Amino acid sequence: MNEFDWGTVWYAIPYMLMGTWVTLEICLLSILFGTLVGVVCGLLSLSGVRPVQWLVRAYVYFVRGTPALVQVFLIYFALPQVGIYISAFWCGVIALSFNAGAFIAEIVRASVESIDAGQTEAAMAIGMTHRQSLLHILLPQSLRRMTPPLTNELITLVKGSSLLSVISITELTRSGQVIIAERFTPFEIYMVLAVFYLVLISILSRLSEYVEKRLA
Amino acid sequence: MPEAAVAPGLAAPAAAAPLLAIRRLSKIYNEVAVLDRASLDVAKGEIVMVIGPSGAGKSTLLRCLNRIEVPSEGEVVLDGVNMGGTLRDGKLVPDAAAVTARKRRDIGMVFQRFNLFAHLSALQNVAIGPRLVLGMPREEAEARARRELERVQLGAHMAKRPNQLSGGQQQRVAIARALAMQPKVILFDEPTSALDPELVGEVLEVIQGLARDGMTMLVVTHEMQFAREVGTRIIFMDGGRILEDSPAKQFFERPEQPRARDFLARVARQH
Repeated sequence: MNEFDWGTVWYAIPYMLMGTWVTLEICLLSILFGTLVGVVCGLLSLSGVRPVQWLVRAYVYFVRGTPALVQVFLIYFALPQVGIYISAFWCGVIALSFNAGAFIAEIVRASVESIDAGQTEAAMAIGMTHRQSLLHILLPQSLRRMTPPLTNELITLVKGSSLLSVISITELTRSGQVIIAERFTPFEIYMVLAVFYLVLISILSRLSEYVEKRLA
Repeated sequence: MPEAAVAPGLAAPAAAAPLLAIRRLSKIYNEVAVLDRASLDVAKGEIVMVIGPSGAGKSTLLRCLNRIEVPSEGEVVLDGVNMGGTLRDGKLVPDAAAVTARKRRDIGMVFQRFNLFAHLSALQNVAIGPRLVLGMPREEAEARARRELERVQLGAHMAKRPNQLSGGQQQRVAIARALAMQPKVILFDEPTSALDPELVGEVLEVIQGLARDGMTMLVVTHEMQFAREVGTRIIFMDGGRILEDSPAKQFFERPEQPRARDFLARVARQH
Protein backbone atom coordinates (compact mmCIF):
# COMPACT_ATOMS: atom_id res chain seq x y z
CA MET A 1 0.00 0.00 0.00
CA ASN A 2 1.22 3.44 -0.85
CA GLU A 3 1.88 6.09 1.77
CA PHE A 4 -1.00 8.50 2.29
CA ASP A 5 0.20 11.68 0.60
CA TRP A 6 -0.46 14.42 3.17
CA GLY A 7 1.48 16.91 1.06
CA THR A 8 -1.14 16.72 -1.68
CA VAL A 9 -3.86 17.15 0.88
CA TRP A 10 -2.41 20.41 2.22
CA TYR A 11 -1.83 21.52 -1.34
CA ALA A 12 -5.44 20.75 -2.31
CA ILE A 13 -7.28 22.32 0.60
CA PRO A 14 -7.09 25.99 -0.48
CA TYR A 15 -8.31 25.09 -3.99
CA MET A 16 -11.05 22.95 -2.62
CA LEU A 17 -12.15 25.71 -0.26
CA MET A 18 -12.66 27.87 -3.33
CA GLY A 19 -14.68 25.03 -4.84
CA THR A 20 -16.63 24.80 -1.62
CA TRP A 21 -17.49 28.47 -1.91
CA VAL A 22 -18.93 27.90 -5.40
CA THR A 23 -20.86 24.87 -4.16
CA LEU A 24 -22.25 26.95 -1.30
CA GLU A 25 -23.32 29.74 -3.63
CA ILE A 26 -25.03 27.34 -6.00
CA CYS A 27 -26.67 25.37 -3.21
CA LEU A 28 -27.95 28.39 -1.31
CA LEU A 29 -29.43 29.89 -4.46
CA SER A 30 -30.92 26.53 -5.45
CA ILE A 31 -32.35 25.97 -1.98
CA LEU A 32 -33.94 29.41 -2.16
CA PHE A 33 -35.40 29.00 -5.67
CA GLY A 34 -36.16 25.30 -5.28
CA THR A 35 -38.08 25.90 -2.06
CA LEU A 36 -39.93 28.78 -3.64
CA VAL A 37 -40.87 26.73 -6.70
CA GLY A 38 -41.72 23.76 -4.49
CA VAL A 39 -43.97 25.65 -2.08
CA VAL A 40 -45.77 27.45 -4.89
CA CYS A 41 -46.25 24.23 -6.88
CA GLY A 42 -47.24 22.35 -3.74
CA LEU A 43 -49.91 24.93 -2.94
CA LEU A 44 -51.06 24.95 -6.56
CA SER A 45 -51.51 21.20 -6.45
CA LEU A 46 -53.71 21.73 -3.37
CA SER A 47 -55.63 24.59 -4.95
CA GLY A 48 -58.41 22.41 -6.29
CA VAL A 49 -57.97 23.95 -9.75
CA ARG A 50 -57.76 20.98 -12.09
CA PRO A 51 -55.65 22.25 -15.02
CA VAL A 52 -53.10 23.69 -12.59
CA GLN A 53 -52.97 20.42 -10.68
CA TRP A 54 -52.31 18.54 -13.90
CA LEU A 55 -49.46 20.86 -14.82
CA VAL A 56 -47.80 20.36 -11.44
CA ARG A 57 -48.33 16.63 -11.71
CA ALA A 58 -46.68 16.55 -15.12
CA TYR A 59 -43.72 18.52 -13.78
CA VAL A 60 -43.28 16.17 -10.83
CA TYR A 61 -43.71 13.15 -13.11
CA PHE A 62 -40.94 14.35 -15.39
CA VAL A 63 -38.46 15.23 -12.65
CA ARG A 64 -39.08 12.04 -10.71
CA GLY A 65 -38.82 9.91 -13.81
CA THR A 66 -35.53 11.23 -15.22
CA PRO A 67 -32.00 11.15 -13.76
CA ALA A 68 -30.76 14.41 -12.30
CA LEU A 69 -27.69 14.15 -14.52
CA VAL A 70 -29.88 14.08 -17.61
CA GLN A 71 -31.80 17.10 -16.31
CA VAL A 72 -28.52 18.98 -15.86
CA PHE A 73 -27.45 18.20 -19.43
CA LEU A 74 -30.87 19.03 -20.79
CA ILE A 75 -30.85 22.47 -19.26
CA TYR A 76 -27.22 23.10 -20.16
CA PHE A 77 -27.63 22.08 -23.80
CA ALA A 78 -31.30 22.82 -24.39
CA LEU A 79 -31.38 26.45 -23.31
CA PRO A 80 -28.91 27.61 -26.00
CA GLN A 81 -31.00 25.69 -28.56
CA VAL A 82 -33.91 27.99 -27.84
CA GLY A 83 -31.73 31.06 -27.86
CA ILE A 84 -31.20 31.42 -24.12
CA TYR A 85 -27.53 31.91 -23.30
CA ILE A 86 -26.67 31.93 -19.63
CA SER A 87 -23.55 30.93 -17.75
CA ALA A 88 -22.90 27.37 -16.63
CA PHE A 89 -23.25 28.61 -13.06
CA TRP A 90 -26.83 29.73 -13.60
CA CYS A 91 -27.63 26.62 -15.63
CA GLY A 92 -26.54 24.68 -12.56
CA VAL A 93 -28.73 26.74 -10.26
CA ILE A 94 -31.70 26.30 -12.59
CA ALA A 95 -31.15 22.55 -12.90
CA LEU A 96 -30.90 22.00 -9.15
CA SER A 97 -33.85 24.29 -8.38
CA PHE A 98 -35.94 22.61 -11.08
CA ASN A 99 -35.12 19.20 -9.64
CA ALA A 100 -35.63 20.08 -5.96
CA GLY A 101 -38.77 22.12 -6.68
CA ALA A 102 -40.65 19.05 -7.87
CA PHE A 103 -39.76 16.96 -4.84
CA ILE A 104 -40.48 19.83 -2.47
CA ALA A 105 -43.87 20.33 -4.13
CA GLU A 106 -44.65 16.72 -3.28
CA ILE A 107 -43.45 17.18 0.30
CA VAL A 108 -45.65 20.25 0.76
CA ARG A 109 -48.66 18.53 -0.77
CA ALA A 110 -48.25 15.34 1.27
CA SER A 111 -47.67 17.20 4.55
CA VAL A 112 -50.73 19.38 4.12
CA GLU A 113 -52.85 16.41 3.09
CA SER A 114 -51.75 14.52 6.19
CA ILE A 115 -53.45 17.06 8.46
CA ASP A 116 -56.67 15.71 9.96
CA ALA A 117 -59.71 16.36 7.76
CA GLY A 118 -61.51 17.75 10.82
CA GLN A 119 -59.30 20.85 10.66
CA THR A 120 -60.50 21.64 7.15
CA GLU A 121 -64.10 20.93 8.10
CA ALA A 122 -63.88 23.26 11.10
CA ALA A 123 -62.37 25.97 8.89
CA MET A 124 -65.14 25.49 6.32
CA ALA A 125 -67.79 25.58 9.02
CA ILE A 126 -66.85 29.10 10.12
CA GLY A 127 -66.97 30.25 6.52
CA MET A 128 -63.30 30.23 5.56
CA THR A 129 -62.52 29.98 1.89
CA HIS A 130 -60.32 27.17 0.64
CA ARG A 131 -57.41 29.58 0.44
CA GLN A 132 -57.90 30.90 3.96
CA SER A 133 -58.00 27.42 5.46
CA LEU A 134 -54.94 26.40 3.46
CA LEU A 135 -52.86 29.42 4.49
CA HIS A 136 -54.07 29.95 8.05
CA ILE A 137 -54.97 26.47 9.26
CA LEU A 138 -53.33 23.71 7.23
CA LEU A 139 -49.99 25.19 6.21
CA PRO A 140 -48.92 26.40 9.68
CA GLN A 141 -49.69 22.96 11.09
CA SER A 142 -47.81 21.12 8.40
CA LEU A 143 -44.58 23.14 8.63
CA ARG A 144 -43.21 20.94 11.36
CA ARG A 145 -44.12 17.76 9.49
CA MET A 146 -42.38 19.10 6.42
CA THR A 147 -39.08 19.73 8.11
CA PRO A 148 -37.61 16.18 8.17
CA PRO A 149 -38.45 15.27 4.55
CA LEU A 150 -37.44 18.75 3.47
CA THR A 151 -34.06 18.29 5.16
CA ASN A 152 -33.58 15.05 3.25
CA GLU A 153 -34.40 16.80 0.03
CA LEU A 154 -31.96 19.64 0.70
CA ILE A 155 -29.25 17.12 1.55
CA THR A 156 -29.94 15.42 -1.77
CA LEU A 157 -29.65 18.81 -3.42
CA VAL A 158 -26.25 19.55 -1.89
CA LYS A 159 -24.92 16.15 -2.86
CA GLY A 160 -26.51 16.45 -6.28
CA SER A 161 -24.62 19.67 -6.86
CA SER A 162 -21.55 17.50 -7.50
CA LEU A 163 -23.19 16.54 -10.81
CA LEU A 164 -22.55 20.09 -11.96
CA SER A 165 -18.87 19.20 -12.28
CA VAL A 166 -19.84 17.74 -15.67
CA ILE A 167 -20.86 21.11 -17.07
CA SER A 168 -17.52 22.70 -16.26
CA ILE A 169 -18.53 24.48 -13.07
CA THR A 170 -15.56 24.39 -10.75
CA GLU A 171 -17.53 23.58 -7.66
CA LEU A 172 -16.25 21.35 -4.90
CA THR A 173 -16.14 18.05 -6.79
CA ARG A 174 -14.57 19.51 -9.90
CA SER A 175 -12.01 21.45 -7.89
CA GLY A 176 -10.90 18.10 -6.52
CA GLN A 177 -10.85 16.48 -9.94
CA VAL A 178 -8.65 19.27 -11.27
CA ILE A 179 -6.06 18.51 -8.61
CA ILE A 180 -6.29 14.77 -9.25
CA ALA A 181 -5.56 15.43 -12.92
CA GLU A 182 -2.56 17.46 -11.87
CA ARG A 183 -1.10 15.29 -9.06
CA PHE A 184 -2.51 11.79 -9.81
CA THR A 185 -3.63 11.24 -6.21
CA PRO A 186 -7.28 10.20 -6.53
CA PHE A 187 -7.53 8.41 -3.20
CA GLU A 188 -6.33 11.33 -1.06
CA ILE A 189 -8.41 13.89 -2.89
CA TYR A 190 -11.64 11.85 -2.88
CA MET A 191 -11.14 11.31 0.86
CA VAL A 192 -10.84 15.05 1.39
CA LEU A 193 -13.83 15.58 -0.89
CA ALA A 194 -15.92 13.17 1.21
CA VAL A 195 -14.94 14.98 4.40
CA PHE A 196 -15.85 18.36 2.89
CA TYR A 197 -19.30 17.12 1.87
CA LEU A 198 -19.80 15.51 5.27
CA VAL A 199 -19.11 18.82 6.96
CA LEU A 200 -21.52 20.69 4.66
CA ILE A 201 -24.27 18.15 5.18
CA SER A 202 -23.73 18.06 8.94
CA ILE A 203 -24.16 21.81 9.16
CA LEU A 204 -27.37 21.53 7.15
CA SER A 205 -28.70 18.76 9.40
CA ARG A 206 -27.94 20.74 12.54
CA LEU A 207 -29.72 23.73 11.10
CA SER A 208 -32.81 21.71 10.35
CA GLU A 209 -32.85 20.13 13.81
CA TYR A 210 -32.79 23.64 15.22
CA VAL A 211 -35.64 24.74 12.96
CA GLU A 212 -37.68 21.66 13.85
CA LYS A 213 -37.29 22.39 17.57
CA ARG A 214 -38.27 25.99 17.07
CA LEU A 215 -41.43 24.92 15.24
CA ALA A 216 -42.44 22.55 18.03
CA MET B 1 -95.48 27.10 20.48
CA PRO B 2 -92.94 27.18 17.69
CA GLU B 3 -94.09 23.77 16.42
CA ALA B 4 -97.50 25.15 15.53
CA ALA B 5 -96.01 27.64 13.11
CA VAL B 6 -94.33 24.93 11.06
CA ALA B 7 -96.90 22.20 11.25
CA PRO B 8 -96.93 20.47 7.87
CA GLY B 9 -99.70 21.45 5.54
CA LEU B 10 -100.21 24.89 6.98
CA ALA B 11 -100.00 27.68 4.49
CA ALA B 12 -97.65 29.71 6.61
CA PRO B 13 -97.68 33.47 6.04
CA ALA B 14 -94.38 35.08 5.07
CA ALA B 15 -93.72 36.32 8.61
CA ALA B 16 -93.93 32.79 9.97
CA ALA B 17 -91.70 31.29 7.29
CA PRO B 18 -89.34 28.75 8.81
CA LEU B 19 -85.82 29.92 9.62
CA LEU B 20 -84.47 26.75 8.09
CA ALA B 21 -86.26 24.81 5.38
CA ILE B 22 -84.91 21.45 4.31
CA ARG B 23 -86.50 19.99 1.18
CA ARG B 24 -86.04 16.39 0.05
CA LEU B 25 -82.39 16.44 0.95
CA SER B 26 -80.50 13.34 -0.22
CA LYS B 27 -76.94 12.13 -0.20
CA ILE B 28 -76.04 9.14 -2.30
CA TYR B 29 -72.74 7.30 -1.90
CA ASN B 30 -72.01 4.44 -4.26
CA GLU B 31 -75.68 4.16 -5.13
CA VAL B 32 -76.67 3.96 -1.46
CA ALA B 33 -78.83 6.77 -0.14
CA VAL B 34 -77.28 7.52 3.25
CA LEU B 35 -79.65 10.46 3.42
CA ASP B 36 -82.96 9.85 1.71
CA ARG B 37 -85.27 12.75 0.87
CA ALA B 38 -85.21 14.37 4.28
CA SER B 39 -87.60 17.29 4.67
CA LEU B 40 -87.85 19.47 7.72
CA ASP B 41 -88.83 23.00 8.71
CA VAL B 42 -87.17 24.57 11.71
CA ALA B 43 -88.56 27.74 13.26
CA LYS B 44 -86.45 30.34 14.99
CA GLY B 45 -85.64 29.32 18.55
CA GLU B 46 -86.46 25.65 18.07
CA ILE B 47 -84.16 23.03 19.51
CA VAL B 48 -84.38 19.99 17.30
CA MET B 49 -82.85 16.81 18.68
CA VAL B 50 -81.90 14.32 15.99
CA ILE B 51 -81.73 10.78 17.27
CA GLY B 52 -81.51 7.30 15.83
CA PRO B 53 -79.19 4.33 15.50
CA SER B 54 -75.69 4.74 14.09
CA GLY B 55 -75.67 4.84 10.31
CA ALA B 56 -79.10 6.44 10.29
CA GLY B 57 -77.84 9.46 8.37
CA LYS B 58 -78.00 11.93 11.25
CA SER B 59 -74.51 13.34 10.78
CA THR B 60 -74.90 13.34 7.02
CA LEU B 61 -78.06 15.41 7.42
CA LEU B 62 -76.18 18.05 9.42
CA ARG B 63 -73.16 18.01 7.11
CA CYS B 64 -75.35 18.50 4.07
CA LEU B 65 -76.99 21.53 5.65
CA ASN B 66 -73.80 23.61 5.62
CA ARG B 67 -72.48 21.75 2.58
CA ILE B 68 -69.42 20.29 4.24
CA GLU B 69 -70.84 17.47 2.22
CA VAL B 70 -72.52 18.37 -1.02
CA PRO B 71 -76.00 16.90 -1.09
CA SER B 72 -76.90 14.83 -4.15
CA GLU B 73 -80.40 16.27 -4.31
CA GLY B 74 -82.75 18.59 -2.52
CA GLU B 75 -82.31 22.04 -1.09
CA VAL B 76 -81.63 23.90 2.09
CA VAL B 77 -82.96 27.41 2.59
CA LEU B 78 -81.77 29.42 5.58
CA ASP B 79 -83.66 32.63 6.29
CA GLY B 80 -84.63 32.92 2.65
CA VAL B 81 -81.14 32.13 1.34
CA ASN B 82 -80.68 28.97 -0.67
CA MET B 83 -77.48 27.36 0.58
CA GLY B 84 -76.76 25.60 -2.70
CA GLY B 85 -77.31 28.21 -5.36
CA THR B 86 -78.53 31.60 -6.41
CA LEU B 87 -81.66 32.33 -8.40
CA ARG B 88 -80.87 33.94 -11.73
CA ASP B 89 -83.64 34.48 -14.26
CA GLY B 90 -85.82 32.05 -12.34
CA LYS B 91 -83.18 29.32 -12.45
CA LEU B 92 -81.10 28.09 -9.55
CA VAL B 93 -77.45 28.51 -10.51
CA PRO B 94 -74.95 26.57 -8.36
CA ASP B 95 -72.77 28.83 -6.24
CA ALA B 96 -69.07 29.41 -6.63
CA ALA B 97 -66.99 28.12 -3.72
CA ALA B 98 -66.50 31.63 -2.33
CA VAL B 99 -70.25 32.23 -2.24
CA THR B 100 -70.85 28.94 -0.44
CA ALA B 101 -68.16 29.92 2.08
CA ARG B 102 -69.92 33.24 2.67
CA LYS B 103 -73.28 31.52 3.22
CA ARG B 104 -71.75 29.08 5.69
CA ARG B 105 -71.04 31.91 8.13
CA ASP B 106 -74.68 31.81 9.18
CA ILE B 107 -74.56 28.15 10.18
CA GLY B 108 -72.42 27.27 13.16
CA MET B 109 -71.17 23.73 13.63
CA VAL B 110 -69.81 21.83 16.60
CA PHE B 111 -68.13 18.50 15.88
CA GLN B 112 -67.90 15.27 17.79
CA ARG B 113 -64.11 15.47 17.87
CA PHE B 114 -64.00 19.22 18.62
CA ASN B 115 -61.65 19.96 15.68
CA LEU B 116 -60.08 22.95 17.37
CA PHE B 117 -57.26 24.49 15.35
CA ALA B 118 -54.34 22.71 16.95
CA HIS B 119 -51.78 25.46 16.43
CA LEU B 120 -53.88 28.25 17.95
CA SER B 121 -54.73 29.20 21.53
CA ALA B 122 -58.33 29.02 22.74
CA LEU B 123 -58.65 32.77 22.20
CA GLN B 124 -57.21 32.62 18.69
CA ASN B 125 -59.45 29.67 17.86
CA VAL B 126 -62.47 31.80 18.60
CA ALA B 127 -61.12 35.08 17.23
CA ILE B 128 -59.88 33.79 13.88
CA GLY B 129 -63.36 33.57 12.38
CA PRO B 130 -64.39 37.16 13.16
CA ARG B 131 -60.95 38.43 12.21
CA LEU B 132 -60.30 36.52 9.01
CA VAL B 133 -63.79 35.75 7.76
CA LEU B 134 -65.69 38.80 8.99
CA GLY B 135 -62.70 41.08 8.54
CA MET B 136 -62.85 42.62 12.01
CA PRO B 137 -59.85 44.47 13.43
CA ARG B 138 -57.82 42.25 15.75
CA GLU B 139 -58.81 44.12 18.92
CA GLU B 140 -62.49 43.86 18.17
CA ALA B 141 -62.29 40.18 17.17
CA GLU B 142 -60.42 39.30 20.35
CA ALA B 143 -62.87 41.25 22.49
CA ARG B 144 -65.68 39.26 20.96
CA ALA B 145 -63.74 36.02 21.45
CA ARG B 146 -63.19 36.84 25.12
CA ARG B 147 -66.90 37.48 25.59
CA GLU B 148 -67.83 34.17 24.00
CA LEU B 149 -65.22 32.26 26.00
CA GLU B 150 -66.52 33.79 29.20
CA ARG B 151 -70.01 32.77 28.16
CA VAL B 152 -68.85 29.13 28.10
CA GLN B 153 -67.00 29.58 31.43
CA LEU B 154 -63.51 29.49 29.97
CA GLY B 155 -62.34 32.96 30.88
CA ALA B 156 -59.39 31.45 32.74
CA HIS B 157 -58.10 29.31 29.89
CA MET B 158 -57.93 31.67 26.92
CA ALA B 159 -54.19 31.45 26.36
CA LYS B 160 -54.08 27.63 26.38
CA ARG B 161 -53.57 25.46 23.34
CA PRO B 162 -56.15 22.73 22.64
CA ASN B 163 -53.78 19.99 23.84
CA GLN B 164 -53.63 21.71 27.24
CA LEU B 165 -57.40 21.55 27.66
CA SER B 166 -59.69 18.72 28.73
CA GLY B 167 -62.15 17.33 26.22
CA GLY B 168 -65.01 19.18 27.86
CA GLN B 169 -63.08 22.44 27.76
CA GLN B 170 -62.12 21.87 24.13
CA GLN B 171 -65.72 21.30 23.18
CA ARG B 172 -66.75 24.50 24.95
CA VAL B 173 -64.08 26.42 23.03
CA ALA B 174 -65.53 24.88 19.88
CA ILE B 175 -68.97 26.14 20.88
CA ALA B 176 -67.55 29.62 21.55
CA ARG B 177 -65.87 29.49 18.13
CA ALA B 178 -69.23 28.81 16.51
CA LEU B 179 -70.98 31.50 18.57
CA ALA B 180 -68.39 34.14 17.65
CA MET B 181 -69.67 34.07 14.08
CA GLN B 182 -73.15 34.96 15.41
CA PRO B 183 -74.81 32.27 13.31
CA LYS B 184 -78.54 31.98 12.78
CA VAL B 185 -78.49 28.30 13.65
CA ILE B 186 -75.94 25.98 15.25
CA LEU B 187 -75.53 22.31 14.34
CA PHE B 188 -74.17 19.95 16.98
CA ASP B 189 -72.86 16.65 15.66
CA GLU B 190 -72.77 14.32 18.68
CA PRO B 191 -71.11 16.99 20.81
CA THR B 192 -70.56 14.72 23.83
CA SER B 193 -69.84 11.34 22.21
CA ALA B 194 -66.06 11.73 22.39
CA LEU B 195 -66.05 12.89 26.00
CA ASP B 196 -65.28 11.05 29.20
CA PRO B 197 -68.55 10.56 31.09
CA GLU B 198 -67.65 13.06 33.83
CA LEU B 199 -67.13 15.81 31.23
CA VAL B 200 -70.44 15.38 29.41
CA GLY B 201 -72.39 17.49 31.90
CA GLU B 202 -70.42 20.72 31.44
CA VAL B 203 -70.97 20.65 27.66
CA LEU B 204 -74.67 19.83 27.92
CA GLU B 205 -75.06 22.69 30.39
CA VAL B 206 -73.61 25.14 27.89
CA ILE B 207 -75.97 23.89 25.17
CA GLN B 208 -78.87 24.19 27.58
CA GLY B 209 -77.80 27.77 28.29
CA LEU B 210 -77.87 28.55 24.57
CA ALA B 211 -81.35 27.06 24.40
CA ARG B 212 -82.47 29.45 27.12
CA ASP B 213 -80.98 32.34 25.16
CA GLY B 214 -83.18 31.40 22.21
CA MET B 215 -80.52 29.99 19.88
CA THR B 216 -81.89 27.81 17.10
CA MET B 217 -80.14 24.44 17.19
CA LEU B 218 -80.09 21.02 15.60
CA VAL B 219 -78.42 18.51 17.88
CA VAL B 220 -77.50 14.97 16.95
CA THR B 221 -77.22 13.20 20.27
CA HIS B 222 -77.32 9.88 22.06
CA GLU B 223 -78.08 11.56 25.41
CA MET B 224 -81.78 10.73 25.68
CA GLN B 225 -82.36 12.42 28.99
CA PHE B 226 -80.87 15.62 27.58
CA ALA B 227 -82.86 15.34 24.35
CA ARG B 228 -86.02 15.02 26.34
CA GLU B 229 -85.33 17.91 28.69
CA VAL B 230 -83.83 20.44 26.29
CA GLY B 231 -85.30 19.50 22.93
CA THR B 232 -88.46 21.17 21.75
CA ARG B 233 -88.76 18.63 19.01
CA ILE B 234 -87.40 15.18 18.21
CA ILE B 235 -86.46 13.89 14.80
CA PHE B 236 -86.02 10.15 14.66
CA MET B 237 -83.99 8.85 11.74
CA ASP B 238 -83.18 5.40 10.45
CA GLY B 239 -81.88 4.16 7.12
CA GLY B 240 -81.30 7.70 5.89
CA ARG B 241 -84.90 8.75 6.38
CA ILE B 242 -86.73 10.90 8.86
CA LEU B 243 -89.25 8.46 10.31
CA GLU B 244 -90.68 10.53 13.07
CA ASP B 245 -90.93 14.21 13.83
CA SER B 246 -92.76 15.04 17.04
CA PRO B 247 -92.65 17.31 20.07
CA ALA B 248 -90.10 15.99 22.55
CA LYS B 249 -92.53 14.99 25.28
CA GLN B 250 -94.81 13.17 22.87
CA PHE B 251 -91.93 11.31 21.23
CA PHE B 252 -90.60 9.86 24.45
CA GLU B 253 -94.01 9.05 25.89
CA ARG B 254 -95.81 7.81 22.80
CA PRO B 255 -93.44 7.16 19.88
CA GLU B 256 -95.48 6.41 16.78
CA GLN B 257 -93.06 4.38 14.71
CA PRO B 258 -92.27 0.80 15.68
CA ARG B 259 -88.60 1.40 14.87
CA ALA B 260 -88.52 4.42 17.16
CA ARG B 261 -90.10 2.30 19.91
CA ASP B 262 -87.48 -0.42 19.36
CA PHE B 263 -84.71 2.15 19.46
CA LEU B 264 -85.93 3.72 22.69
CA ALA B 265 -86.33 0.31 24.28
CA ARG B 266 -82.77 -0.66 23.29
CA VAL B 267 -81.34 2.61 24.58
CA ALA B 268 -83.29 2.24 27.82
CA ARG B 269 -81.85 -1.23 28.38
CA GLN B 270 -78.31 0.11 28.09
CA HIS B 271 -78.81 2.67 30.86
